[in-house]
Amino acid sequence: MGSEIIFYLLSALSIFSALVVVFSKNPIYSVLSLIVCFFSIAGHYVMLNAQFLAIVHIIVYAGAIMVLLLFTVMLLNLNKESEPHKSNLIKVAAIVTGGLLMLTLLASLRTSQLPVYVSPTDLGLGTVQTVGKSLFTDYLLPFEISSILFISAMIGAVVLAKKER
Amino acid sequence: MNTLIYVSCLGFFCMIAEILNQRKLIIPVLVLALAVIFGLNLSDWNHGQTYFNNMVQVDNFSVAFSGLAIFITLLLFILASEFYAASDTHISDYSAIIIFILCGALMMFNFNNLAMLFIGIETLSISLYVMAGSRRFEVKSNEAGFKYFLMGSFMSGFLLFGIALIYGASGTFYLDKIYQYTQTNSAILPVTFHVGAVLIVFAMLFKTSSAPFHFWAPDVYEGSPTLITAMMSTLVKVAAFAAFYRLISHTFLYVFPSVETVIAISAVLTVSIGNFIALNQTNFKRLLAYSGISHAGYLLLAIISLRGNTESSLLYYAVGYSVSTLAAFSVAMLVFKAAGNENIDALNGLGKKNPLMAATLTMAMLSLAGIPPFAGFFGKYYIFSEAMKNGYFYLVLVAIINSIIGVFYYFKPILAMYGQPANEIEVKTNYANNLVLWVCLALSLALGLFPDLIVGLL
Repeated sequence: MGSEIIFYLLSALSIFSALVVVFSKNPIYSVLSLIVCFFSIAGHYVMLNAQFLAIVHIIVYAGAIMVLLLFTVMLLNLNKESEPHKSNLIKVAAIVTGGLLMLTLLASLRTSQLPVYVSPTDLGLGTVQTVGKSLFTDYLLPFEISSILFISAMIGAVVLAKKER
Repeated sequence: MNTLIYVSCLGFFCMIAEILNQRKLIIPVLVLALAVIFGLNLSDWNHGQTYFNNMVQVDNFSVAFSGLAIFITLLLFILASEFYAASDTHISDYSAIIIFILCGALMMFNFNNLAMLFIGIETLSISLYVMAGSRRFEVKSNEAGFKYFLMGSFMSGFLLFGIALIYGASGTFYLDKIYQYTQTNSAILPVTFHVGAVLIVFAMLFKTSSAPFHFWAPDVYEGSPTLITAMMSTLVKVAAFAAFYRLISHTFLYVFPSVETVIAISAVLTVSIGNFIALNQTNFKRLLAYSGISHAGYLLLAIISLRGNTESSLLYYAVGYSVSTLAAFSVAMLVFKAAGNENIDALNGLGKKNPLMAATLTMAMLSLAGIPPFAGFFGKYYIFSEAMKNGYFYLVLVAIINSIIGVFYYFKPILAMYGQPANEIEVKTNYANNLVLWVCLALSLALGLFPDLIVGLL
């Protein structure tokens, strides 16, 4: 019962904050409520016993990506309501495409059989221990090889941003 | 597998050389080391096995394509020794990133797990985004890097979503286990599996610059530094097609009907759009970009003809195409550097001024157009005959009509070189470039005269 109440609270919070992101006139408020949204989704992950995912979600999204967004907003001086007014044609097109997407999603939701809830057989599923174990046994090679991906991204940042003499 | 480790060590060598202030050593050492690794890679021939809990599966297919990729990179580094000025302080960064692009390509040749495929594609693409934008004081290069980055990261999302759906349906990332799953459940495959497969196919079509996901290719090819354009249209295209083939033939055999339609439509669109738009291009790099798009269409025919000896014809076509394209780009590099622009007019009268370059470019164009005795002709011949055996008569018909149209624009540079009066552009040649030209010329003729060198391999 208690977990159900938390679930509804978190869901309401995440939907509300997501709506604020879209409707808020001030970009800074949008960004801040996006942080709230990310945190409430991380709460969902914790309730699904995926602690590792929850922490990574907070570190990566609420930490790194939000800082990036805030920087962009401030550097480009977007915190005024100077956004040009969209024409009616664009508004209609956006509503039609969004509505089509909703229609598709609803139709696929209607025909799909939702799985019945089964309690996990393995309580350790999704904890840091199990994730770590499978990262360093089965997925050792992809884990190590991602280092190449990251180092090439780092060199890329140097190439693109280093000051010429 | 060892090839991948050696090659990634080379990337770290580049950075250490920068620390030790030995920039001049980088390219000679890389060329030598790549030649050695090319030999070591061949020692895996017929000794295929799996590594790291089935993450990587080395077989003759992957060894052959890895060899091709290493060879292309070797030629590119020979070209790079002249392309980047000796005083360029970024040379170590550039070479390290090019080596990491090769690493990504190697992962895409021998993956046995979708996680490996994803990391391979990402390593390849993220390094490429940087290299496309590496001339950061040129607006066109910025545009190329940014456009490629936006579109590419969007398509990576498609790929990831497809992989997630397939995992949701089958519960595994391993290609062989997904194959077993589809085999046992072939009658009752859930819709999510089909959707996932089609999404992955979309992402692969983007990476191979096939229509209708080809819009980035001309702009990115035009804006990137010519060396990187050469890399994109050879190494990257080959890697994407090899990964695509591996995926379709190893994994999606039982959902083949649902992806077959997608690929067939894309093949028809790709050959037609590529050839028709190439007809009125005046920029040589854009011309080669559209030519690359049309060749992607021919290669898609090889992807869907799964029965028979398709692996060899794919390899043969890839080798012939890469050699000709590299030859074209190595001529373009020098001529357009001297001319300051990239129009076909810059080639005027090259036949008198520099016979070797003109001859090689003529060979490259004839080979790309598919005229015997060059490698391009037999490549097309094998692919078309495989497709005919698999019953794709109409597809082959469209492809043949389009390759006849292609002859028109491939003759444009040839006519400019031999038919037009010479302009006053001074093209400086150098040993490195001449070496690459000779190698490409010899290989294209040898493969055209003795196709059995490669066709019987796989």
